[in-house]
Amino acid sequence: MPTRKTIKKPLPSVVKNMDEWPIYKAYENPDLFLKKVKELVKKNASWILKDDVTLRNEIKNIVYQEKMRLSKTPWKSDNPKEKLFWSDIKKQIRNSKATSSENRTKEVDERILNQILDFYGTEMIADFKISSFKFAQNALPYIYSRLINSFPQIVYRLFSSVDKLYDRMKIMGDIDHIRNLQKIGTVVVVPTHYSNLDSPTIGLSLNNLGLSAFTYGAGVNLFTIKSLSRFMHNLGAYKVDRRRKHRLYIETLKSYSTIALTQDVNSLFYPGGSRSHSGKLENKLKLGLLGTVIDAQRMNLQNGNGKKIFIIPVTLNYHYVLEAKKLIEHYLKDEGKENYLEDENTTSFGLIKRAYKVITSNPGMTISFAPAIDVFGNNVNENGESYTSIGQKVEVADYFKLNGKLVKDLQRDSQYTQILGERILQEYKENTVVLSSNLVAFVAFQIIRKRFSQFSIFEILSLPKDETTIQVEEFIPVLGRVKEELIAIEKENKIILSADLELELEELMKVGINKVGSSHPKYVLRENKKGEISTQSMKLLYYYHNKLTSYGLEKYI
Amino acid sequence: MRMKKVAVIGTGNFGLALANLLAINNEVFIYARREEIVEKINEKREHKGQAIHERVTAVNDFELITKECKLIFPIVPSSNFKEMLIQLSPYLTPEHILIHGTKGLHIEVDINSVTQLDKSEVLTMSELILKQTSVVRVGCIAGPNLAKELSEKQIGGTVVASRFNEVIVEGKKALNSNVFRVYGSNEVLGVELASVLKNYIAIAAGMLEGIGYGDNSKALLITRGMAEMVFFGKAFGASEKAFMGLAGIGDLMATCNSKLSRNFRVGYQLAKGQKLSDILSDLNEVAEGIKTIKVVKLLAGYGFNSPLADALYKIVYEDWELKQGMDYLMNLPVSDDTDFFSHKDS
Repeated sequence: MPTRKTIKKPLPSVVKNMDEWPIYKAYENPDLFLKKVKELVKKNASWILKDDVTLRNEIKNIVYQEKMRLSKTPWKSDNPKEKLFWSDIKKQIRNSKATSSENRTKEVDERILNQILDFYGTEMIADFKISSFKFAQNALPYIYSRLINSFPQIVYRLFSSVDKLYDRMKIMGDIDHIRNLQKIGTVVVVPTHYSNLDSPTIGLSLNNLGLSAFTYGAGVNLFTIKSLSRFMHNLGAYKVDRRRKHRLYIETLKSYSTIALTQDVNSLFYPGGSRSHSGKLENKLKLGLLGTVIDAQRMNLQNGNGKKIFIIPVTLNYHYVLEAKKLIEHYLKDEGKENYLEDENTTSFGLIKRAYKVITSNPGMTISFAPAIDVFGNNVNENGESYTSIGQKVEVADYFKLNGKLVKDLQRDSQYTQILGERILQEYKENTVVLSSNLVAFVAFQIIRKRFSQFSIFEILSLPKDETTIQVEEFIPVLGRVKEELIAIEKENKIILSADLELELEELMKVGINKVGSSHPKYVLRENKKGEISTQSMKLLYYYHNKLTSYGLEKYI
Repeated sequence: MRMKKVAVIGTGNFGLALANLLAINNEVFIYARREEIVEKINEKREHKGQAIHERVTAVNDFELITKECKLIFPIVPSSNFKEMLIQLSPYLTPEHILIHGTKGLHIEVDINSVTQLDKSEVLTMSELILKQTSVVRVGCIAGPNLAKELSEKQIGGTVVASRFNEVIVEGKKALNSNVFRVYGSNEVLGVELASVLKNYIAIAAGMLEGIGYGDNSKALLITRGMAEMVFFGKAFGASEKAFMGLAGIGDLMATCNSKLSRNFRVGYQLAKGQKLSDILSDLNEVAEGIKTIKVVKLLAGYGFNSPLADALYKIVYEDWELKQGMDYLMNLPVSDDTDFFSHKDS
């Protein structure tokens, strides 16, 4: 059983000299980094190099898709020179058709492929500037504490705000173990994803753990303000354009991540893909980028360095999610359909503007680091050695061996990725922190649902206010039953209860009601003087309730 | 070139037949629990009426076989499978590949003391391997593989199923020969369930034979039996595909038409008026179908359609007359002929 603790202040860096950090070393020579990426893409994208006809058709297809993207969904963040680049590629194809022999055409196409890969790589690549990092390290806690605390703007309080920050931003987990693993191998953090604030939240948390800086993919839409974009770039953010769906781009992205991992660079992905629209805990993961940890682990073994990669699932638990209304409405309208909300409205400036809104009365959050696992989902001990669920020690190399030799097998690795994904989902579930806000939302919504058990979710969500009012006397016993069950689940280490849950039921109810989605223009829950609990937004109530729907608590209503 | 070494665990009829088939392409270790069987196989080169191939060596040492062989075929009755894994597990690593050939389920509770089962309490053998060992690359072998015919080198075929293509390829390399064709499938759950469920259909087929019914009746039984297997499989997350292959329809045709099948013989003798307890004690080996009937009954809460298993349960466990069971089945409403294709996944 891991020793879980909460940190109250930032811990010193595990590796003190920043110029020894792998991220610094990897990005110190961007040309070499991109050369490795390019080589790996060509190795993995054998389909494109299958024969001359395929290569030409694929290139034509890419050019078509890129030109369509630029004309149909142009974004401000688009590189102004990009149009010219694709027109030039098109011209090269046309010229080669008119003038070249067969051999010559192949040569031209391979040159074009290199140009495209260079273009993607140059656009994608991040940097790591020690000065930018130091600045962020000093400034971010202050900025962030202003964001999530609600002090009056009095100067003398400014300096106490960082301490207050940790009252509202709780970071918990087996911190010593994680710091120890940083000395042994590469750390990959895979958080749940609820809000655009997740990245600054997790960034600050990782810094407070004293880990070497992380590289991470950030949507190109976040790179609109030049200075901020530069700043993110200098802090290890590589650009990801989610509008690009074709295989070569995806392969480049995956190879980028793999190379970063083989260079020992700590990495961060959101394996759920986009933010959880429903507010539910992730129940399905996107395995593309996650698979790169398996690739990288195998490559580390084949290269002979054997450096181990450790995965740390993280759950982010908020009382208030800034964009909850938009997310849940999108979920209800378009249930089950894959869709990114990151359009141009989610620019970096938009994000700052929205985050600023949170300044008023944010009740805080808990960031819970799950125990580390290896890339096959095995537990790891303090020395980074792997143990299966039945306590058997295993070597990661054995998973890649066939008849005694390390063998690359992409189909096998895709199965390992699925196994890892299942384990991450299990860790999310077991390391979710039950906040008073989620609990009261769950109880309130389920009471209403039971009242109208023959109604569909959509009918329940459009009930008039007087039908959804709950008497406190009705609410408290149900809250008691659900809380009891949660205590039982926690005893089996299948969930974590926040300190609020130690409160007496009435107090717990009041605290939860007060905190749930506290900054939305419409209140999620409120108790009036007559002892009636009501909501102004069934949709938001449903959203905050959803966090606890995967624990079988419904039968205690 | 040196031959690859592979291992078989279990010296039942199928284990022995498989070891002989593997010996065509490999050096084979066969593990026996009892020393006297090891000696008998190694010295007399014969066991249970089967001649043993010269490249088969019997051993009683898990450490030896796991060290020498990375590809292992456990062929042990489901009731002993967990115990075997507990002993084998310390020697296994994720480098090993296990392809089991056990047509049964492992139930985590005593089925005689419960009134219903939860899905989580029912494990296929590959799920049990994943739970009890560090092996991840797991597969199963299933199909119309009546041990006696295999031992006579009659031509036959089988399916190796695994989520890992690598396991299928290794299984094929080890087993494929000019007398035995090995097909591959990624539908491991479907293949495992098909190979378990056909056991009780075979009991019903034996009953039909026992009361003297002919080919029409049996064809009806096999076809609707397969539909019932598909309904069950879908309720547990398997696709219908595996049921159309060698482990499904292939194995059904063999076991429902052969007196070599233990399950078929149980049904046949029940129809002839013998008592179940007497039949089972004469049989010496396990008739998985009897257990499967009960397991299917205890899982009824999952809402699949299993009239045949219901009728067999009443006959085997509640002393219904055979005729009562037949009347029950023949008076049920009839559905669409190929309803198992249109049955929606839940």
